[in-house]
Amino acid sequence: MPREVLHRSATDNEYLHKDFHGALSTGIEYLHRRYGAEAVREYMWQFASAFYAPLIADINTRGLAALREHFQRIYEQEGGEFSITLSEDSLSLDIQGCPAVAHLRENGYPVAELFYETTRTVNEAICEGTPFQAEMLSYDPQTGRSLISFTRREL
Amino acid sequence: MIPCTDFIAAYSELFKYLEQRGGPEAVQDFWDYLSDNFLGNLRNLVENHGIRGCWLYWQHTLSEEAADFTMELDEDADEFRIIMHHCPSKGRLLAWNHIAPYHNYCGHCDVLYRRVLEPMGYTYWSDLSRTDDAQCELRITLTLEHSHYS
Repeated sequence: MPREVLHRSATDNEYLHKDFHGALSTGIEYLHRRYGAEAVREYMWQFASAFYAPLIADINTRGLAALREHFQRIYEQEGGEFSITLSEDSLSLDIQGCPAVAHLRENGYPVAELFYETTRTVNEAICEGTPFQAEMLSYDPQTGRSLISFTRREL
Repeated sequence: MIPCTDFIAAYSELFKYLEQRGGPEAVQDFWDYLSDNFLGNLRNLVENHGIRGCWLYWQHTLSEEAADFTMELDEDADEFRIIMHHCPSKGRLLAWNHIAPYHNYCGHCDVLYRRVLEPMGYTYWSDLSRTDDAQCELRITLTLEHSHYS
């Protein structure tokens, strides 16, 4: 067989490697088994507080419109079905099917028992230090379908 | 949901969290677990296709990761090579100004893939000396006693 060579530039492909959801699910399951459920939440909180700091600052500047843009970006790029209802003091996010959970199920990757913390704890951490609070009202572990409410905190 | 485009940050922060909890040994333990529990597709491809399995595995993953790379396969010599001109994962971590990468972020690749391939009779060599520029190189060869030349 002749020697084969393949060259690709970053611009040749779109950056969208959904198998990363499988690695994250495996990581959550490991953390849960090795250190317990609270460690999963603590890790998610630390990650979201640090990585989404620019988004948190944006929410403090522009309110829930910044959060709406964030969710539109992440669910559109992964092909999720969702709807957002926005008012001045509240935002309702209805995810009909989570693209991450769908990818895990379609490809036979285990879905970590606490995978929902990538939604619940991450959203709560994003809202910490803003005038808003997040509440996950429902979650279906089979599909990741969820309803999340963001409302202004009472003073 | 943490989108897959934000995964690299979550991954790096997980390594930091584990090191806070249990030192570098805790990170190593997780990498071993991830290799054993998540890389079954690489293991299956190499079992079924030999050294070409590496080509098939990385052709898929590096394309989806929009990497800037050159891959070489020489089946007669049982050799596979990747020259990573710009790693999208490390590149992203370096580009984000508000979080610092885990200090040994690139170490995970070496552990994860070596752990799969060496028990299958392959030699795994990597050069991680240029990871601060998001560049690296890896070479996988069939270990001599497994080679069809021996």
